[in-house]
Amino acid sequence: MSGLKRSMIILAMIILVMSGSLWAGGDQEAAKEDATVRLAVFGDQGHNLVPFEWIEEEAAEMGIELEVIGVPFTAVYEKLKTEFVGGTGAYDLVVFYPSYLGEFAEFGYLQPLDKFFGNYDPDIDDIVPAYKDLYCSYAGDIYALPYDGDVLNFYYRRDLFDDAAEKAAFQAAYGRTLEVPETWDEALEVAEFFTRSAGESLMGKPLDQDMYGFSFLGTRGFAYGWWLNIFGAMGGAYFDRNMNPQINSQAGIDALNMLAELKRFSPPDVMNMGYEELKNAFLHGQLATMVQWSDIWKKANDASISHIVGNCGVAQMPGMVQADGSILRRAAGPVGRVIGIPTTTKHAEEAYWVAWKLTTDISLETVSTSATGLDPYRYSHVENAAAFEEFGPAWEAEAYLSAVMDNLGVLYPDLNIPGAAEYLDTLDIAVTSALSGTISAKQALDEAAVRWDQTTDTLGREKQTKIFNNMLDIWAKYGFWED
Amino acid sequence: MSKLQGNTAIQRSEHRFAIITALPGLIALIVLVAGPLLYMFFNSLFIKTLAAPIPPQFNWFGNYGKVLSDSRFWNAFKNTMIIMGVGIPVQAFLGLTIALLLSKPFPGSRVIVAMFLIPVMITPIVSGFQWKIILNQRFGPMNYLLGILIGMEPKSWLAEPFLAMVSILIMDTWQWTPFVTVVLLAGLSAIPKQVYEASSVDGSTMWGTLWRVTLPLLKPMFTLVVLLRIIFIFKIFDPVYILTGGGPGISTETLSLLTYITGFKNFNVGITSTLAVVQLIAMVIIAKLFMKLVMGRKER
Repeated sequence: MSGLKRSMIILAMIILVMSGSLWAGGDQEAAKEDATVRLAVFGDQGHNLVPFEWIEEEAAEMGIELEVIGVPFTAVYEKLKTEFVGGTGAYDLVVFYPSYLGEFAEFGYLQPLDKFFGNYDPDIDDIVPAYKDLYCSYAGDIYALPYDGDVLNFYYRRDLFDDAAEKAAFQAAYGRTLEVPETWDEALEVAEFFTRSAGESLMGKPLDQDMYGFSFLGTRGFAYGWWLNIFGAMGGAYFDRNMNPQINSQAGIDALNMLAELKRFSPPDVMNMGYEELKNAFLHGQLATMVQWSDIWKKANDASISHIVGNCGVAQMPGMVQADGSILRRAAGPVGRVIGIPTTTKHAEEAYWVAWKLTTDISLETVSTSATGLDPYRYSHVENAAAFEEFGPAWEAEAYLSAVMDNLGVLYPDLNIPGAAEYLDTLDIAVTSALSGTISAKQALDEAAVRWDQTTDTLGREKQTKIFNNMLDIWAKYGFWED
Repeated sequence: MSKLQGNTAIQRSEHRFAIITALPGLIALIVLVAGPLLYMFFNSLFIKTLAAPIPPQFNWFGNYGKVLSDSRFWNAFKNTMIIMGVGIPVQAFLGLTIALLLSKPFPGSRVIVAMFLIPVMITPIVSGFQWKIILNQRFGPMNYLLGILIGMEPKSWLAEPFLAMVSILIMDTWQWTPFVTVVLLAGLSAIPKQVYEASSVDGSTMWGTLWRVTLPLLKPMFTLVVLLRIIFIFKIFDPVYILTGGGPGISTETLSLLTYITGFKNFNVGITSTLAVVQLIAMVIIAKLFMKLVMGRKER
């Protein structure tokens, strides 16, 4: 065999071996590709989906690829329900608002999660009980894990309330000390006191912009939650035990009139204020007090977006004085976010791992950053003030978490029976219509009550009554309801 | 006789051929157009919801009674009529004025006409979002400009019921006036020059020519553009959804938005179908009335 011929044979053998190993390598790559599970994740778009990006690498190591699909804040129900009704199986993991849990669980759109707890422990006992039982459970089973512990809080500008000149002026005007309001009547006085035009003096300096004493979320969608705070404190209920609407009771009308009074001391565009607008007005120093979700304290102490760093006070929601002199307080919890797994998914175990990871393993990080709008929902969150110290000194972080827990203790939960989206939308329209002045509070709530009855009849009165009573039993367990 | 019979046979054969060739198109038309309409009407006769797994219940015309006695429906109807009643005349007037100004070519007129088409080409969702920013009370350029130009105090355009409706009218006019302009411009360019020359010879003034020559000859184009606008306004959804969401309260809720909410928020198939049928009937009646008005004047 000539040298050339031998060389050719060796070369051919090398090429053969190399191509074989390349082939094998390609096979391995393809096998790895095949083993990767692609999970379609659904949620309301924006900062609250950011944590899914944080776990991308770890998910990849588990053979999971996440495809996150965001929809507008107020379109979660319609989009999700459309997919569920159509049985499209478009999503493997869904982030949604717990007021829809009753409906999604009742109609079999979600699967119970208890069966996965053996794989990864979600540390259920660490979850604040009201969230666990009202926002994650249905008919005794856990259908979702918490992701965002929403509750409304009363915010105020600490520097204004501590200012000696303002204190003296308030004392002179109202005959009492300027303090964080305990009742809604006091909140109204405080709102009136701090509402001033540009050029007037505030803390001894002329204002370069108008200042408003109070503000709330007035745009359509979740405005009803701001009314619920007052309605609940006046002893109001959604329905009685027989499913008769109670929103048009005297408590409902008085609460709406109270909110309309507070609107007089709110920015003129309050009825167009959503979460962002309300947050920005407070962070730009245009509001003395407001009611908002728990994440605002973190945003208010982020110097890159806030003008009131170090001056954001968080307090328990004002209430109403009762006959015995005590104060009844209620803090509504509109929105909130939980994670569930649709029955249609073929990757339930992988989806559960993602849910577990976010709501257990890295949950403290997700609720203690200004990069998200997620709020505490575990004891380990509220007992860990150190994790929140980047936003302020330890005492302030502790005061913030204490206020959040106080408000959770007087939670006025969202309605979470089937049809909740329709009931709450009807209520929201009544509240915003009355506040915009096109209709009286009584007329708006009377009309809403009639529509609630129609919704109940459409969905089946007997069944709805039974489900609502089950919900009330849980409310009663936590002291949110008294027969 | 036999020739006649032969002709009839050929005619029959041609007739049959015509039917056979038209049949696929006819079937497609029935399936794609009449089918959904009939299904929609069929659904409107039932109490039917997707919100819960409840079997549909035949309700005769009960849903129609419910819709027609619902104050929210009449509020949405009123709002749609306001947009139509105010928007179309304003857009027709502005469209005609601009078309007349652009009808005589001048340097750059073609570019201007091309630019006029931009608002029509923008997706309504995008224009809604854009106007939401423009009309923002705090940082929107509208308040800033009105403040500089006429010293007006900042207005809460989207937070007060009256101003929110005005905002929708402003946005709708911004988006659709160019469409009216372009259609009328096409109509103007089709009017023979000799007609104007004859009018001039008769000693007609500029206003006289406009009133007696231009406008009557533009009538077909006007009719077309108004009819299209009636149909478009009945369907107006995206900009209202983005700009005001129907609010404050339901002060700017239109028929299309109400239908959408009933369908996709409440998942009430029966009522949604009823709303759609009623909307269709209302649209046809208004279009008919308009045509009758136009044709009646023509006859006179």
